[in-house]
Amino acid sequence: MKRKITVMGTMVVLALTSVVLAGCGKKEKEIEFFSSKSENAAVLQSFVDTFNQEHTDSGVKIVLNTPADPGTVLKTRLAKNDVPDIMALGGDNNYTEVQSAGVLADLSGESYIDGIQESYMQMVYDVQKGKEAIPYAVPYAANASGVLYNTDKFKELNLEIPKTWDEFMKVVKTIEDAGEEPFLFTFKDAWTGLCPWNSMAPDLQPKGFTDERRVGTTTFAATHQEIAEKYLELLKHAQKDFMGTTYDDGNKAFANGKGVMMINGNWAINQFTNANSSFHVDMFALPASNDQSRNYVTSGVDVLFCVNKDSKNLDIAKEFLAFLLEKKNAQTYIENQFAFSAVKGIEQTDARVAGVKKDIENGKVANFPDHYYPMAFNLSAILSEYSLNYVNGMDDAKNSAAFLADCDKKYDIANVE
Amino acid sequence: MKKEKISVDLIYFIIVGVMAGLFFLFHTVSFLKGVFYSFTDWKGYGAWNFVGLRNYLQIFRDGDTIHAYEFTFQFAIICTILVNVISLALACALNANIRFKDFLKGVYFLPYMLGSIIVGFIFNFIFANLIPALGQTLGIECLSVNILGTTSAIWGIVIVTIWSGCAFNTLIYISGLQSVDTDVYEAAALDGANGFRRFSRITFPLLAPSFTINMVLAAKGYLMVYDQIMAMTDGGPGTTTTSIAVLIYKKGFGGGQFSYQMANAVVLFLVVVAVSVFQLRILEKREDKIG
Amino acid sequence: MKRKSNDFVTVLLLVGALIIILLPLYLTLIIAIKDPSDMNQVLALPKKIRLQNFSDAWNMTQYPRKFFNTSFITLINLMFTLITNSFVAYAITRNRKKHVFFGIMYYYFVSAMFIPFCVIMLPLVVQINYFHLDNIFGITFLYIVFGLPMNTFIYSGAVKNIPEALDEAAKIDGANPLQIFTYVIFPVLKPTTATVAILSFMWTWNDFTMPLVLLSDKNQQTLQLAQFVFKSQFSVNYNLAFASYLMVIVPILIVYLFCQKWIMNGVVAGAVK
Repeated sequence: MKRKITVMGTMVVLALTSVVLAGCGKKEKEIEFFSSKSENAAVLQSFVDTFNQEHTDSGVKIVLNTPADPGTVLKTRLAKNDVPDIMALGGDNNYTEVQSAGVLADLSGESYIDGIQESYMQMVYDVQKGKEAIPYAVPYAANASGVLYNTDKFKELNLEIPKTWDEFMKVVKTIEDAGEEPFLFTFKDAWTGLCPWNSMAPDLQPKGFTDERRVGTTTFAATHQEIAEKYLELLKHAQKDFMGTTYDDGNKAFANGKGVMMINGNWAINQFTNANSSFHVDMFALPASNDQSRNYVTSGVDVLFCVNKDSKNLDIAKEFLAFLLEKKNAQTYIENQFAFSAVKGIEQTDARVAGVKKDIENGKVANFPDHYYPMAFNLSAILSEYSLNYVNGMDDAKNSAAFLADCDKKYDIANVE
Repeated sequence: MKKEKISVDLIYFIIVGVMAGLFFLFHTVSFLKGVFYSFTDWKGYGAWNFVGLRNYLQIFRDGDTIHAYEFTFQFAIICTILVNVISLALACALNANIRFKDFLKGVYFLPYMLGSIIVGFIFNFIFANLIPALGQTLGIECLSVNILGTTSAIWGIVIVTIWSGCAFNTLIYISGLQSVDTDVYEAAALDGANGFRRFSRITFPLLAPSFTINMVLAAKGYLMVYDQIMAMTDGGPGTTTTSIAVLIYKKGFGGGQFSYQMANAVVLFLVVVAVSVFQLRILEKREDKIG
Repeated sequence: MKRKSNDFVTVLLLVGALIIILLPLYLTLIIAIKDPSDMNQVLALPKKIRLQNFSDAWNMTQYPRKFFNTSFITLINLMFTLITNSFVAYAITRNRKKHVFFGIMYYYFVSAMFIPFCVIMLPLVVQINYFHLDNIFGITFLYIVFGLPMNTFIYSGAVKNIPEALDEAAKIDGANPLQIFTYVIFPVLKPTTATVAILSFMWTWNDFTMPLVLLSDKNQQTLQLAQFVFKSQFSVNYNLAFASYLMVIVPILIVYLFCQKWIMNGVVAGAVK
């Protein structure tokens, strides 16, 4: 009995202290800077700190928030009508959601808009509701998806960067003959299964496919046979447990010399260097076609900034955006992230992405095809099932036919307004 | 009030009324709103229209949803049976005349204290790194890959569920066993009943109430399985381990199908109620017979 | 007739405990104190103990803040849950036969147990924001209210087993309902209270979904939520992640170590009622 009283007593005391302490929290005015990416948290935080130091007199403070599971959090925030003041999002479905809810400030009058590369601005317009050409967001950094390769091993095996699918397959064969595994895939995290697809589909799908598919005048089955077959071909040269390898484990293993190529994006490079700082890597565009001119680099808007039009501190929020877009900061950002800047005149010079840099500069880029699919169309799950069937020994022709039929069926289910 | 046959003090009404009011305001109103939105095309914000039963009809045409129901039932049945069998065995063993009884009970109850997110993360590591390494060393083919990346991923989740789920059920069985009068055993021993007969004729029937509780709680909990899957496979590979709760969460929030998944959630609710009522009826009837 | 202790079963249980229960925990501990370069032999003892994992994880997850938030939610919830829910269950159970209101309440709460959380999640978020409860106070309040169905169910089973003569006797002595409950019924309910306490403690400490959707302010997040940070941000480093998991587990293990008897007896005595 005595013990119980002690326990209860302690609890009460603790609880009361908690209340008092919680009540004493600072009441400084805060501006929320919501970011959907975790990879760039450190560099954004450093920008926030600098900005706050320079603006101590304004009485407000910018606070970076990178929540777990940002998509869900953002949706619930929208439902609560509690939109963050400033947001850093990807140029994807999440942005479309926010933009179509009509909560974003029009940035047309801002000075930095003219300094943005038109192609990236267009990508933002493309994902806006009704493709409206008003800058509700400013693109900041672009990414690139393609083949990441271990440059040391390429040198060792005397390999050239392949320009066509046939050359690519030759490279794969040489690597296999040398007793190495050509690809390291990390399909335990289903989204990584999308990367080969996103790198190949723009090269091989017919022009205007996304629009035609939306209105139902074409199908995956009629147009994507080649992509499906080549996808399977890639799987045949992956490591044994590629379905069970996670993105993190895979990156670590790759940086430590396992496998020769990975099909992913520039965002993974940061992870490699964290795991092994002396790892040498570069990228090239996946040459899905034998027609060199069609082998695009898949590149999309990785980070864009937008502002809540009803923010109580709209001026400071906009000022912060202008600060982020200053050349110095734009440069720091892409160097830290191995990304490509949307700001004119800011160049990525790191050797680790040199292989795709030229294509990006020349505009030989295609946006991620999955940015144009309906949001509920979960292609990564379908691809994952496709790969799983392959591992389970299903006949290739049967498997790809079933896969494409499934794509069409699920696309139609998802494609309801 | 005095004229009434049985008077109930006002204070009971006040306190129960206040708590029930709060519960209604936050829980029931939310539930009713959810049901309401299942008849609309609401996306979670913005404008909406009534669409009648469209969302409900869609459920039966959507392969993903049907598959999620199949998986969830399969998972719930496997787990309910395995957890109960293992818990019962464990309870009998822990209730036997053993050494270090308190210590062992303490250890076996430990998993119950740990959150399913963290347990999921830890086992993720074990399945991804430890077991494949072991399988390769021993040359066992089926162990040499990450089970969570195969068609058998369900078993990985089952294992984790059993690991953390058995503790509670075991304790309930132990308490049931302790209420079994030892005299009954001694009488049975005198009659020459052996271990198994003793269990099936005496112990098990007396455990009927514990059994009922465990079956109902387990089935209900496993039909709503969510945490472990989010921590371990995220519903994959493909849609192999997508349970209904995971589907509702992922597509309802991430996939912009809020009202459709709301309808799905209402159906899940009806299924859970139906299963629980069904179980209670069967099990209670059996209990009566034995009693 | 003295029975010999069953050594075969003892050994079986010990081996099982070691391999099945303790091995994953041993693993967690070992990885948490290892250097990242020392991961080739995962199960081997570390060559060098690296405590920096803990301090790094401590800083990255802002552990003190998150620990405080989680404890706050857990403890306040515990206090109010035990006081209010037990009385509600008592009031309902005793008056079910006397007044139809309480009969309805009983079925109302029990049927609410079958509503999956995901059904109410999004409407709830809107509701909570309307009342400005999207903070740790609000979530604590919600836990107290949302625990009602389960706790009423558990408590009412126990209340049924208390002879009504006890109430009557106190009533004759001139006690009012609150006094009867506080001095007569609540002490008798002790084992059940232990059960409910453990269940709500575990629920709030380990809950993930509710904090995820309700707490948008970073400074108000809980420990479980903070673990998600590692999943994306620092996941290449298992050592840091496991150090962080360990710091979430340890407080619970300490509570368990000191209150083990109490916890187990509580569950045993209360659950089957």
